[in-house]
Amino acid sequence: MTLVRVNGVTLHVAELPPVAGDDMEPPTVVLVHGMAGDNLASWYLTMAHPLAASGLRVLMYDLRGHGRSDRPARGYALDDFADDLEGLLDHWGVTGRVHLVGNSFGGTVAFAYALRHPDRVAGVVAIDSAPPMPEWFARMSARLTRAGADPGRVGAGAAFARRLRDVRRLLSETEIVAELPASRLPAPAEFAALTCPVLCLYGRDSRVRELAGRTEQLLPQARSVVLDGAGHSVLIERTAEVRGHLLTWLRDTAPFVTTGSEGERHG
Amino acid sequence: MPADKTVIRADIEAMLRAVLGDFGTDLPIELDSTFRDDLGMESLDVVSLAGRLQSRFGDSVNFAQFVAGLDVSSMAELKVGDLVDFVTRSLDQVPAAS
Repeated sequence: MTLVRVNGVTLHVAELPPVAGDDMEPPTVVLVHGMAGDNLASWYLTMAHPLAASGLRVLMYDLRGHGRSDRPARGYALDDFADDLEGLLDHWGVTGRVHLVGNSFGGTVAFAYALRHPDRVAGVVAIDSAPPMPEWFARMSARLTRAGADPGRVGAGAAFARRLRDVRRLLSETEIVAELPASRLPAPAEFAALTCPVLCLYGRDSRVRELAGRTEQLLPQARSVVLDGAGHSVLIERTAEVRGHLLTWLRDTAPFVTTGSEGERHG
Repeated sequence: MPADKTVIRADIEAMLRAVLGDFGTDLPIELDSTFRDDLGMESLDVVSLAGRLQSRFGDSVNFAQFVAGLDVSSMAELKVGDLVDFVTRSLDQVPAAS
């Protein structure tokens, strides 16, 4: 288990190097998981290997308060999460433009970072997520409050008990329920600076999809894809389709990702 | 020479006990023990196990690829014996060092 100290907090990170890549500086993707009950394993066990096999350097981490990362009492505004990502990218020595892929709240963290550093981001993929905007934060706040009473997913056994305990601790021992909704959000005009390609995947039955129109107003370049037979947990419910969309997208936006492209890109 | 399954099984059991920490001290770890229900492993434990397999066997055992081929329900039903078989098969495919 690899722990890294950045931005005053210790974060659990994982990395898969590109398979059979001979690039001195392979394209890099950072995968950001969702809020409360989620962790980097959702990526590691679904997308990380296929992405590494496509020639990408794959980086993952547990958000503060989640998984095996520290759970400080305070520091859960959106800017804190973006600061963590910024610190990690420095730690990892990522100098080229990075691809950011976020699930649910993780997509929001990706957008927050990209809005700050549009010149450092190659593209954003948001899975059943939305950029930082009041409508989305209102929904997340309601969800966090509800999660305190009922953490959702029914399960049994020791693994579920540990996950439940971790969610309860996040909600009861930290200020996240107060701090996250009070996050400073970017003004709509700030979105004009974010010109990189954006892919939004939604579950057909997810209510987050109601925010797609507003997202496309803020980010006119966003391409939206709706996956049938899935709700908010589209990454888990439709893993293979999400994987397919992600790989195709990265090949299109990162010409260096392997599929036997004709080269001559680096000159 | 084919990989020695008994040794691999002992290696994997030691890794599982390390991953499970205090949870795993008195737990029987059998070939038909399931990761989730019998051993109580959560997903991050599986990630941790992957790291240990990588350290122990290097690139000859690609556990990340193994799990990437599973959906959520087959992951939950994964047994210790499945992993022992996978590691044994993987090592058998590696050309012997000369």
